[in-house]
Amino acid sequence: MSSTSSPPAAPASPGAADGGAVAARADRATKVYGKGDTEVRALDDVSVDFARARFTVIMGPSGSGKSTLMHCVAGLDTLTGGRVLIGDTDLTTLDDKRLTVLRRDKIGFVFQAFNLVPTLTALENVTLPMALAGREPDRAWLDTVVDTVHLRDRLAHRPSELSGGQQQRVAVARALASRPEIVFADEPTGNLDSRSGAEILGFMRRAVDELGQTIVMVTHDPVAAAYGDRVVFLADGRIVDDLADPTADAVLDRMKTLEA
Amino acid sequence: MLRIALKGLLARKLRLFTTSIAVLLGVAFMSGTLVLTDTMGRTFDRLFADATAGTDAAVRGKAVISSDFAIDRDRVPASVVETVRRTPGVKAAEGFVAGYAQVVGKDGKAVGNPGMGAPTFGRNWPTVAALNPFRLAEGTAPASNEDVVLDRYTAKEAGAGVGDPLTVLTERGPVRVRVSGIATFGDADGTGGATNVMFTSAAAQRWVAAPGAFDQVGAVAEDGVSQEELRERLAARVPGNAEVITGKALTEENQSTIRKSLRFFNTFLFTFAVVALLVGSFIIYNTFSIIVAQRGREMALMRAVGASRRQVLGAVLVEAVAVGVLASVLGMLAGVAVAAGLKALLAGFGIDIPAGGIVFSAKTAILSLVTGVGVSVVSALFPARRASKVPPIAAMRDLAVESTGIRRRTIVAGLFTAAGVAVLMVGLFGDAGAGAVGLGAVLVFFGVAGLGPVFARPVAGLIGAPLPRLRGMAGTLARENSMRNPKRTASTAAALMIGVGLVAFITIFAASAKQSIDESIDRAFTGDFVVDSGSFGFGGLSPTLAADLARLPEVEAVTGYRIGQAEVEGATKFLAAVDPRTVERIVDLDVRQGSLDDLDATSVAVEAETARTKGLAIGDPVRMTFARTGDRTMTVRAIFERADIGGQYLLPISAYEANFATQFDARVFVAKSDDVSAADARAAVERVTGPYPNAKLQDQTQFKEAQAAQINQLLALIYVLLFLAVFIALLGIANTLALSIFERTRELGLLRAVGMTRAQLRTTVRWESVIIALFGTFLGLVIGLFFGWALVRSLQNEGFTSFVVPPGQLLTVVVVAALAGIVAAIGPGRRAAGLDVLRAIASD
Repeated sequence: MSSTSSPPAAPASPGAADGGAVAARADRATKVYGKGDTEVRALDDVSVDFARARFTVIMGPSGSGKSTLMHCVAGLDTLTGGRVLIGDTDLTTLDDKRLTVLRRDKIGFVFQAFNLVPTLTALENVTLPMALAGREPDRAWLDTVVDTVHLRDRLAHRPSELSGGQQQRVAVARALASRPEIVFADEPTGNLDSRSGAEILGFMRRAVDELGQTIVMVTHDPVAAAYGDRVVFLADGRIVDDLADPTADAVLDRMKTLEA
Repeated sequence: MLRIALKGLLARKLRLFTTSIAVLLGVAFMSGTLVLTDTMGRTFDRLFADATAGTDAAVRGKAVISSDFAIDRDRVPASVVETVRRTPGVKAAEGFVAGYAQVVGKDGKAVGNPGMGAPTFGRNWPTVAALNPFRLAEGTAPASNEDVVLDRYTAKEAGAGVGDPLTVLTERGPVRVRVSGIATFGDADGTGGATNVMFTSAAAQRWVAAPGAFDQVGAVAEDGVSQEELRERLAARVPGNAEVITGKALTEENQSTIRKSLRFFNTFLFTFAVVALLVGSFIIYNTFSIIVAQRGREMALMRAVGASRRQVLGAVLVEAVAVGVLASVLGMLAGVAVAAGLKALLAGFGIDIPAGGIVFSAKTAILSLVTGVGVSVVSALFPARRASKVPPIAAMRDLAVESTGIRRRTIVAGLFTAAGVAVLMVGLFGDAGAGAVGLGAVLVFFGVAGLGPVFARPVAGLIGAPLPRLRGMAGTLARENSMRNPKRTASTAAALMIGVGLVAFITIFAASAKQSIDESIDRAFTGDFVVDSGSFGFGGLSPTLAADLARLPEVEAVTGYRIGQAEVEGATKFLAAVDPRTVERIVDLDVRQGSLDDLDATSVAVEAETARTKGLAIGDPVRMTFARTGDRTMTVRAIFERADIGGQYLLPISAYEANFATQFDARVFVAKSDDVSAADARAAVERVTGPYPNAKLQDQTQFKEAQAAQINQLLALIYVLLFLAVFIALLGIANTLALSIFERTRELGLLRAVGMTRAQLRTTVRWESVIIALFGTFLGLVIGLFFGWALVRSLQNEGFTSFVVPPGQLLTVVVVAALAGIVAAIGPGRRAAGLDVLRAIASD
């Protein structure tokens, strides 16, 4: 994917908000697929903190373990060894039911594709996690989120009546609407044209800056990565680099060295 | 292309199997029906071959009238035996008696149930060994008129041994005898469920037939005289009202008669097999429609790389053939087990027909295969054609194959429904008969199934309306899912519609029948007690019972109620006979013209409506033909209004006695004296009926209950048989849900990722299933209501005076359907809940 949009200005004072508190943490996380000769170490003793109210980007070549790391931290996959914490909760101690409830109440998701339930309206999709919990959404907050992603006039539409960019905005709104501890985004712009992609990234940036949201995003696009406060580089299941206040060029340079 | 199709098939073994089951069960039922009726047929073939093995020729009365139910013949005089014996070429001859006689067991109960099951015979013990299919196993042949031989089966059922005293119920009343011997029928204990008590010839004539008469005379030919020669010689000598038949022809006639009556079972059971296959065909259609929709891209790709339309069509049909072959072969084999199950089921409902060994004929195999494969292929043809029409360009874009031509389809379905209703009405109210009714019903089912998609969305939405409030987001999603693909929801529901439609129809029909009978009894029966034999053809109550009751001081009036067949003005009719002097004190006939007092052995009373249509007035002649006496001209002496008990033509018992060979009361109606309490009268009546264990004493309420119980029993049997159709429909719902879940893998993965618990997901699947089931039930109830109404109205003149819709029972149907929907969702729900979230959301 090529990008024509320019990266935004870096945030005013990175690392200052919330005094550097940690929203999520992987502690010596190890994930092994298969056994014996076919054994693959997707994560190899990875320890990393994700700071609160920060936009952290995970990058790395294909097969580096970046998606696995995100899935494990987000409670979608389980570790072979080590721990994952969301806030003070150790995910490795939770059963499926508790893990599901944790995802519902504490985590927001934006995926690359198929982010919405086709039978529900945009608004119903946005409030889905709360509806599943049987909770009423916070009206004021919902309004804020809906306005942030410019969705007010599309709320009654079904996904099939929305463009790809609009669908992804609904997904972002859903991820934010329940005020989760942390939002995970897995290549959220992967299926979008560059303009829509830039729009989505802009909303996510604003969510961090204006709403104090914590976001972790996996991408392989240096331009998208430049929207973050910090980029963590993975290769062969290990963290190989860590870059604060990234620019697209800086990220591209690091990527080149990693792939070389 | 074939190899690709087969490869794809093996990759989806589980689906191949679950789809096959829908047809498999129908084929198994059909195969089971065939195996059972073939087995029964062979059992009877052997029985009759053995029974007449030594007979070279038989002399009997000519059949004057015959109907589907029975052939009535007059007896031949005993002198015929001498005539036959003296005919050159006859080695031996003997007269035979066979008629109703029922043994009373040690427990005081009558053995056997001739009203419902196998007959209970009284016979004479043949003295000519060649003419006797029985062999004495213990004791001796009857030496005196107080001696009887029982076959071993009857002896066991009665708990009687050689030397034991025994009571036998006969036309002349209960008879006390002694068991002198026990016999086998060839090597068998008995004659396949029928009971046999064998007297001396004189005693048999006295109790079972008539003194000086035999039912048949059997002859054995001398060596060198063929059966045909013997028949010709005898025919020249016997009286004019007798006929001669060869032993071979007699055996064949007996075999074909029983086969004809077995055909009723065959048709009855076959109907349910057809229903099951019909339901199965909906499921095949639906499954293939979904598969084709899901594989639209794959097929477009095939087309894009050069596969022809025919090849794509062929690839889908290969799968249908595979489903059909698998289903037919397994179903055919399962039929053997089904046959045993059906036999046990019928026996459980009192219909015990002997069937020994297993007859699996080539006909069964061929019919099963052809039907199974045929149903599968024909049902898959429409989806396959749709698949072949996928344009190659569809490979390049997302498509929904399943969205074309809903308007044309609706018009065609509407025409089907209208045609079905029309044919059904002609069948019911015109002369087109049962075939038209069946065809009309099938057309209506197809038509309504085709119309289903039109109202699937609104009705499913309505049914699911309370769900969001009851089950929150899980309920909302269930409702939305049931509405998202109206065609799929409709055709899945259609399978259940058939079973529910028939259940609702039969429920309404039975309720109307019960109500009509109740009202009829209320209207017409003004007496106090009914003594019922439970039999309407073979045997019944000895007239001595009515005579004994009439002598009771506690009783004011008694009449026997006899039933017989005769040809009236060219058409075979059932006639009733009563005592004209007493009947009006017990039964309200509402005589409008003439008087019952004028009835004698040559006259008849006619129901008013019949008299009007036939233009009959008092004093007019009515031509009647009786089996025993041939043509008789009867004079109309009374015209009555109420057909409830009297029927169309009512004879005085004197006329019945003059024209029928056997004299049994099917029932005896009793009115007590006014100055006696009901309890005292009952006690008195009970003392008289005591020695007749085949008599059931009922007051009016019990009489009604007994009638209702008979209907309920048949109803229960039909419910059990219809359960199969409902069960197959449930498999269909489960199959559709499973395919839908497969299709929605990523959507479900997303839901799980954003916090839907497994329990919530199961709830969603469960309620989607319930909505589909209730939608099918709704369609079924509408159809059943219509069918029930149409049939009841068409039988208005046959005594169906009320149309009753029993709300409680129909509500039960709805509840059961909802529960069934829950059960159908268990498997798919578990599968959905077990989805690996990561794999579900992993893009491409």
